[in-house]
Amino acid sequence: MDPPPPSSAPLLSPAPPPGPGFLDFLLKAVFQRNSKYRVQRMASKAGAALTTYSPAPSRNSRTPIFSDSDVDWVRPDGRGFHQCRPAFFRTGAVNAAAGSAYAEFGNTKVIVSVFGPRESKKAMMYSDVGRLNCSVSYTTFGTSIRGQGSEHKEFSSMLHKALEGAIMLETFPKTTVDVFALVLESGGSDLPVIISCASLALADAGIMMYDLVAGVSVSCLGKNLVIDPMLEEESCQDGSLMLTCLPSRYEVTQLTVTGEWSTANLNEAMQLSLDACSKLAEIMRSCLKEAASGPQD
Amino acid sequence: MREEGEEEMVTPGEMLGKASEVKAGKGAYVADYRNSGILCVFSSLNGLRRTVSPSPDSPDQRPTIEVTGHKAHGAVPEPGSVVIARVTKVMAKTASADIMCVGPKAVQEKFSGIIRQQDVRATEIDRVDMHLSFRPGDIVRALVLSLGDARAYHLSTAKNELGVVSAESTAGATMVPISWTEMQCPLTGQIEQRKVAKVGS
Repeated sequence: MDPPPPSSAPLLSPAPPPGPGFLDFLLKAVFQRNSKYRVQRMASKAGAALTTYSPAPSRNSRTPIFSDSDVDWVRPDGRGFHQCRPAFFRTGAVNAAAGSAYAEFGNTKVIVSVFGPRESKKAMMYSDVGRLNCSVSYTTFGTSIRGQGSEHKEFSSMLHKALEGAIMLETFPKTTVDVFALVLESGGSDLPVIISCASLALADAGIMMYDLVAGVSVSCLGKNLVIDPMLEEESCQDGSLMLTCLPSRYEVTQLTVTGEWSTANLNEAMQLSLDACSKLAEIMRSCLKEAASGPQD
Repeated sequence: MREEGEEEMVTPGEMLGKASEVKAGKGAYVADYRNSGILCVFSSLNGLRRTVSPSPDSPDQRPTIEVTGHKAHGAVPEPGSVVIARVTKVMAKTASADIMCVGPKAVQEKFSGIIRQQDVRATEIDRVDMHLSFRPGDIVRALVLSLGDARAYHLSTAKNELGVVSAESTAGATMVPISWTEMQCPLTGQIEQRKVAKVGS
């Protein structure tokens, strides 16, 4: 008598299929003791070996920091988990540049200056769309560790990827727009602040863009999602997600995910960051409008 | 609705109106609103928005919305724009010039331009002597022909109102134009040859 074919949906079958002997006893024991593994059995003769298995994602094996509560973390500055730091933006910080902006999110302070469109270097080949050249550097007093961290070297190309989707490159052919970002103090969540500040500087310089670029990062600490992490939270996070989008066009220009994420957490983090980006864009727009109307008064 | 002449500050990405009701002018573009299928006009610059009414004889009666940047930013040479350039090098068949102004606006950093022998004037273009048309240090008014190559924009002075606008004589004084090929130094009376621009009526 053949055992009935295995059903794929439930993890635990309500009654073990009838069948001879030891193998069946072993299966029953495995199912009852360890619900983590789902076993697929090929229907056929007795004594057929287990051919495939697929482990389900295991629950958090790390001991929680606070064993008697739901939360894994308390934020050092007393913010809620879904609360961002207050944002301060100011444009026109650098007189020599075509456009510039200064951003301060808590302890993270960034200044970005934009030069251009100006002539490309003679060595570059002709291109009928404009070029974007980004450079991110840290001051020597900006971080508490000596030298640049390993991720900071990639920030220049990540900034380039986040901005190039928003700029209309065909409006300045053959020329280059240079974006120089300088991090005066690194207090966590550096790259999203750099990206938001750079898009304000580009708007200040009069470069034609499809929309402002707002960036937000979310950290996963245990099972909690924490938005706009600080330096201490970033150093003990399990995973991080950074999203930059064009808020009023509802398009994402860059999404960077690192570390461990479960699907549910990932979805929730993306929704959270999209919502935060649209709120951040409102603040950026009001800063641009204030800067324009201020000197006229 | 909004009156013509009333101005409002807009930022990049702000929706200015529906594409069925308004046209996108300078500083604005048309795109789909959040994948809904409705085309809308968005702003692409940070500046003041203006509505221009359509001319009464055009078939499309939608007003045009323009956004002008509120800061006077450096301009970029475009084909068809008139520029002011300073000649840096004169060679046998070409002259190099640095573009300083585009239209009425000054540029923030200079662009390189080149005037070829066949673009100096409209007549007898193969018998042009570059050294009798330009000297290093002359200020010329030229027209941008094309983007050229990676190194320089292509400029042309082949019109009456284009050419040398101001030049210094070997004695150091600003010369006075006499005809469309000659300029005279007021100190020494020496006449030097240039391709002179016709200024004024």
